[in-house]
Amino acid sequence: MIVAGILILGGLIFLSGTALIAFYWAARDGQFRDLKKGSEVIFDEDEPIGRPTDHFPVKPQA
Amino acid sequence: MTTLAASLNPGLNERTLEKIERSAIDDSARLPVLLFFGTAIFWLVIGSLLALVAAFKMNLPGLMDGEAWLTFGRVRPAHLNTVVYGWASAAGIGVGLWLMARLCRVAMMHTSLLIVAAIFWNLGVFVGTLGILAGDSRSIEWLEFPGYSTPILFIAYAFIGIWGVIMFRFRKPGHVYVSQWYLLAAFLWFPWLYATVNILLIWQPILGSAQGAVNWWFAHNVLGLWFTPIGLASAYYMIPKVIGRPIHSYYLSILGFWSLALFYSWNGMHHLIGGPFPAWMISASVVASIMMFVPVITVAINHHMTMKGQFEGLKWSPTLRFTVFGAMSYTIVSFQGSMMAIPTLNQITHFTHYTIGHSHLGLYAFFTMMMFGAMYYIVPRLVGWEWPSASLIRWHFWLAAIGILIMVGALTLGGIIQGLALYDPAVNFMNSMHFASPWLWIRSFSGILLTAAHVIFAVHFVMMLLHVGAKKAEPTLFARPIPEEETLTA
Amino acid sequence: MNRLPLLFLGIFLTFASAWAGLVAYPYLTLGRLLPVTNEETGELSPPPISGLAEAGQTVYAANGCLYCHSQQVRPAYLSTDIAKGLGPRRTVARDYIRSRPAFLGTMRTGPDLTNVGLRYSAEWQHRHLYEPGEVSKGSIMPAFRYLYVMQKIQGAPSADALKDLTGPHAPKPGYEVVPTEDAKALVAYLLSLKRDYPLPESPEESLE
Repeated sequence: MIVAGILILGGLIFLSGTALIAFYWAARDGQFRDLKKGSEVIFDEDEPIGRPTDHFPVKPQA
Repeated sequence: MTTLAASLNPGLNERTLEKIERSAIDDSARLPVLLFFGTAIFWLVIGSLLALVAAFKMNLPGLMDGEAWLTFGRVRPAHLNTVVYGWASAAGIGVGLWLMARLCRVAMMHTSLLIVAAIFWNLGVFVGTLGILAGDSRSIEWLEFPGYSTPILFIAYAFIGIWGVIMFRFRKPGHVYVSQWYLLAAFLWFPWLYATVNILLIWQPILGSAQGAVNWWFAHNVLGLWFTPIGLASAYYMIPKVIGRPIHSYYLSILGFWSLALFYSWNGMHHLIGGPFPAWMISASVVASIMMFVPVITVAINHHMTMKGQFEGLKWSPTLRFTVFGAMSYTIVSFQGSMMAIPTLNQITHFTHYTIGHSHLGLYAFFTMMMFGAMYYIVPRLVGWEWPSASLIRWHFWLAAIGILIMVGALTLGGIIQGLALYDPAVNFMNSMHFASPWLWIRSFSGILLTAAHVIFAVHFVMMLLHVGAKKAEPTLFARPIPEEETLTA
Repeated sequence: MNRLPLLFLGIFLTFASAWAGLVAYPYLTLGRLLPVTNEETGELSPPPISGLAEAGQTVYAANGCLYCHSQQVRPAYLSTDIAKGLGPRRTVARDYIRSRPAFLGTMRTGPDLTNVGLRYSAEWQHRHLYEPGEVSKGSIMPAFRYLYVMQKIQGAPSADALKDLTGPHAPKPGYEVVPTEDAKALVAYLLSLKRDYPLPESPEESLE
């Protein structure tokens, strides 16, 4: 019972504490700007937009 | 961009460097990810066989009924836990780690520890499954593994989760892709979920019906905050990457992430509508379940708009085929889940096979298909070999797709009929069972299709590891880099 | 551009809200309920259960009874449970304070067991567990014969031997079937399932 109680209370303090600290840090660091525009990071010059990257295996050319 | 390769050989161009970097990351991921995949597929086959035993026991109650370790009440949780922890979690971990490494553009470090973690994870599943069959099941749904196996799983997981977070911490600068959000969240949520229930339900059990609340908070969140984010992370990477077109709206994908995080974690209590709890807890869950329309619609719109005009890709890409099947199932299963939380409908579907159909729609048609799709993409890049047979992939897909559609259809219809019988005070209880019976036969039949699909996939995976098939003169699409050639042609 | 802290914030906050509502709150309230004492008779509600019945809960869990049998009666405004005779009233949190674990269950492939102790005798339960199809025609419940021992009758038949067994697994002449400790515990537990005592939070429900 005591272990569970510590878990509950400690968990709440830990969760909200982490959240508060992180929030303060994030606000100061300017984390709330520039949330858009990230959809293209998975492409690069080697595998550019417009190039499919998967296919059923094809029979080897004889 | 400066990499090791660039400093060694300044003459290489950007494109080649990217290729080398990517293949170095894939190389670093090879052993741990393949180990997770291989063991996952093993447990998938074992879990399917256990499912068949359990399913046929419902049709033929006399089947092997003298054996304690094969009684329905042990085989069913053994099935659930092998597929949830042995298959789905391990597959998700493999996909998650690989995606994380690739998106953070960092190689996995100290992979030997990850390999140890994979071994421990499987040891935990093995010990736990034997424990259930031997009669140590705790009958706490989704947490049947006995207390002596869950710590093994937890310790193994700790390493895995820490690795995921570490990779994120050391990522290359640039935008954080939406898949990374999902993965990071999943890696952080799971240990919290698992630790909480282990302490509150196994080590220091809390009392009374509060257990039910904690139990379903956990069971539903394993699906919603562990499997779903990994599945969606995979879809958000695979769909754009395979067809070569960025996701339709990045803004929508982020909105979808936050609304999922907010609403899903409140959903669990809709499994206990009418149960012994204060009304507000149930109401909160019902409201949150209905609010799930928001993240689901954003994801559905986003994937559909990305795929628009590209559906031909389903013909040529195995990954896309499985992933799109999974993504569509996600929309359907989530809508169905929201509807089931409405108390009027819940009165009928609660306590019936309908719920089982819903679970399979979620865990199989959505998540498992998503994992198959990701594996078809990842494994060739890890082993440097193409899938030996296109027809085996096709067999796998059609058996799995048709099998799961039949299964969900049968359980849904059978469940509604059973539910109406259970609801009507004039109908004798025994009839509710008899009405459902033919549908359960169909369910068992569909289980055979799924098991066949899994065996085919397992065989194909082993062929892949053994490099069966001819080396292709013209590599299809994922050619591993040969820098010399590359610099000549570039 | 490092977005890690923002991510952490959101991930923890959203998760913490549900955790507080669905884990911490029930732990602090439902998990601390105590039995009520009837002021006239001095009896406890829910009444204490025997040690044997408590051991039966482990057998119930080990053999997965929960996967087909629920133990909850929903209120009349949410179901026909009461009309179907599953119990005189809905079940409330206090009904489960002696359950370890609380076998609420989410399936009714078999009948609800909230009040099964009111419906059947120990003798019936043993015969039913041994060979369900013989006692309840058409049942698809698996047999739990492994909880029983068939043995040769030594001298006088055992007092707890099962009577009136029929079907293919009935004992041959000169043999008898006796329950193991597990079977006795399980049946003691099933007999203890009687949610018919009065509770302050529930009477109005039963009148609906």
